[in-house]
Amino acid sequence: MPDNTSVMVLDDEPIVGDRLRPALAKGGFDVEIFTDSTAAIERLKQKAFGVLVTDMKMRGPSGMDVLRFVREHAPNTQVIVITGYATIETSHEANALGAYQFVAKPFKMKELVKLVEKASKLTAS
Amino acid sequence: MQPAAGRSSDAPAASPGAPHDREALNPADRLQRAQHALLSRRRLSIRLRLVASLLLCFCLCCAFAAAAKDLLGRARGKLNLLQTIERLDDRILRVRAFEDEGILSGTDIDKVLEGARDAEDLFRKEAPALQAADREVLPALLAHLGTCRRLLTAVTTQGRERGGFGVLTPTQAGELRHAEAEANRLLEAMIRRERVSLSAIFRFAETGPLVLVGILLLLFAAITYCFAKALVNPIRRFEGYTSRIAVGDFSLIGPARRYRDEFSDLAVAVNQMLAALQEQQNRLVKGARLAVVGTMTSGIAHELNNPLNNISITAETLMEESTTLTDEDRWRLLQDIYFETERASEIVKSLLDFTRQEKREMVPLELGEIILSTLRLSQNEMNINNVTVAYDVPPDLPRIQGAANQLRQVFLNLFLNAIQAMPSGGVLGVSAAVRDQAGVCVEVHDEGAGIPAEILPRIFDPFFTTKEPGKGTGLGLSVSSSIIKKLGGDIQVASELGKGTTVHVCLPRAEEQ
Ligand SMILES: Nc1ncnc2c1ncn2[C@@H]1O[C@H](COP(=O)(O)OP(=O)(O)OP(=O)(O)O)[C@@H](O)[C@H]1O
Ligand SMILES: [Mg+2]
Repeated sequence: MPDNTSVMVLDDEPIVGDRLRPALAKGGFDVEIFTDSTAAIERLKQKAFGVLVTDMKMRGPSGMDVLRFVREHAPNTQVIVITGYATIETSHEANALGAYQFVAKPFKMKELVKLVEKASKLTAS
Repeated sequence: MQPAAGRSSDAPAASPGAPHDREALNPADRLQRAQHALLSRRRLSIRLRLVASLLLCFCLCCAFAAAAKDLLGRARGKLNLLQTIERLDDRILRVRAFEDEGILSGTDIDKVLEGARDAEDLFRKEAPALQAADREVLPALLAHLGTCRRLLTAVTTQGRERGGFGVLTPTQAGELRHAEAEANRLLEAMIRRERVSLSAIFRFAETGPLVLVGILLLLFAAITYCFAKALVNPIRRFEGYTSRIAVGDFSLIGPARRYRDEFSDLAVAVNQMLAALQEQQNRLVKGARLAVVGTMTSGIAHELNNPLNNISITAETLMEESTTLTDEDRWRLLQDIYFETERASEIVKSLLDFTRQEKREMVPLELGEIILSTLRLSQNEMNINNVTVAYDVPPDLPRIQGAANQLRQVFLNLFLNAIQAMPSGGVLGVSAAVRDQAGVCVEVHDEGAGIPAEILPRIFDPFFTTKEPGKGTGLGLSVSSSIIKKLGGDIQVASELGKGTTVHVCLPRAEEQ
């Protein structure tokens, strides 16, 4: 069972991680920030996170690839996908792969933190 | 190598350079100027020339007909004259014969007298028609004839008075004989001369038509040559124009001769058509440019939403944590907002730059700058498709002649095609080299699936696309090729299935002053 308070944030925009880290920490989460998806996958192999927040389009493996990896290796981890360009197709694909939520940029941090809280409760139950 | 990010520098299009008079004119002025040059020449229409040539031939034939009629008239006059002379000669001879025998009836003498009078009248009347030699002897002849008439009249009156035959004194008889003999001599000489001149007229009448045929032949040949030249040469020229237009060169037709004719009217009409075509082409190029921006929407949205998101969440942090933040933190967050705003406006600016219409066409340009700014424009498409760039454009490349934004449009089309051909990533190779004195060539290479040989001939066709609806309009390569051709360059595609595609674009060098 993954530790439901552990959250991974993966986005190649460093500012996203920088801002989310204190906000999530304030909500009592244990946060790890990644800007490189390959490194993030390596970390996912070692640790089962309660919630994964990932960007869609990235250099190297995309958010969809990371989602697919998580579904195979850590089925209990809830995944929130954020993207700069939301299309019906990508949101359908993400939902089909069992993503918890699909969030379009620009998002409100408060809402994202709420989403992470809800997702983590789902993991716990 | 990734192209360096930064302000997209303005291409020399905007920098003040030597004014290109021809280029500085707007299309409407250029059309007006070309039309004026065509129409301001002296008019010498083909119809006018045709009518004039036919009139010339007609006049010539008329002149020959008149000459022939005159000749015929002269021949007839000569024949009449000759007949009269011969008759007179004959009568005098007959009178002499009778005299020799001593018998001369009154009626005979009357006839002779009458004939002689007629002949004299005729001679007087026809004196101008006689030859010079004949005219000279005419007074002597008339004198002799007069003598004969006087003597013969005397004889007849004597005879009537006496109721029998008149007799001449021996001196009178001698005089009469001498006059008659002289008259015969002169008349025979006249006959000989008139015969010669008549046969000369006939000879002339025989050769005349041959000469006429010869002259007409030469004239027809000259007319045919002139008209063939006036018709065939312009048609050849227009053939050249059509093949030039077919490959997308819409430059206007200028005057090729010193005068204007119906072909000039055609040239004026063709120029009008060219101007309309050019405008339509411009509209198509502009439309395709906007469409290409449309195909990049995902990239652009991504590119814009990322900085906007950064700004939004940073501002949220500032608002939420206003009490707990240190001055240093606050400064860092504000700086983030500042630079992310810069980043977003950069994207908007480069897009606007790209879609903007250029004021001046054909200026010397740094090819490297054009390629780099275009790579920046497509950077995000590359990022999200995991495409990296191998950039090899020497910085000391000679400048090329072109229009910055149109060239950006071409390269963007090529880059996007290459990126779209490598959906799972790869290397986009961009290199350039001097080809020869006249041109510089750019190579855009990708490691995509390649183009099947059967569709290779069609990829430049407008609206030909293998991409799904909404992803490709099929205008990219068609518009690119028309732009490159208009700039006087050349574009070629080589592809190997499974290995990749290489597009060669060659552009004319700018003349360096
Ligand atoms: N680098 C390439 N690799 C493979 N195929 C290519 C490449 N470039 C062009 N093609 C083929 O040529 C076709 C025509 O290209 P073109 O750029 O004219 O239109 P498009 O890319 O389909 O649409 P648009 O450029 O308007 O988005 C493409 O649909 C594609 O099949
Ligand atoms: Mg294309």
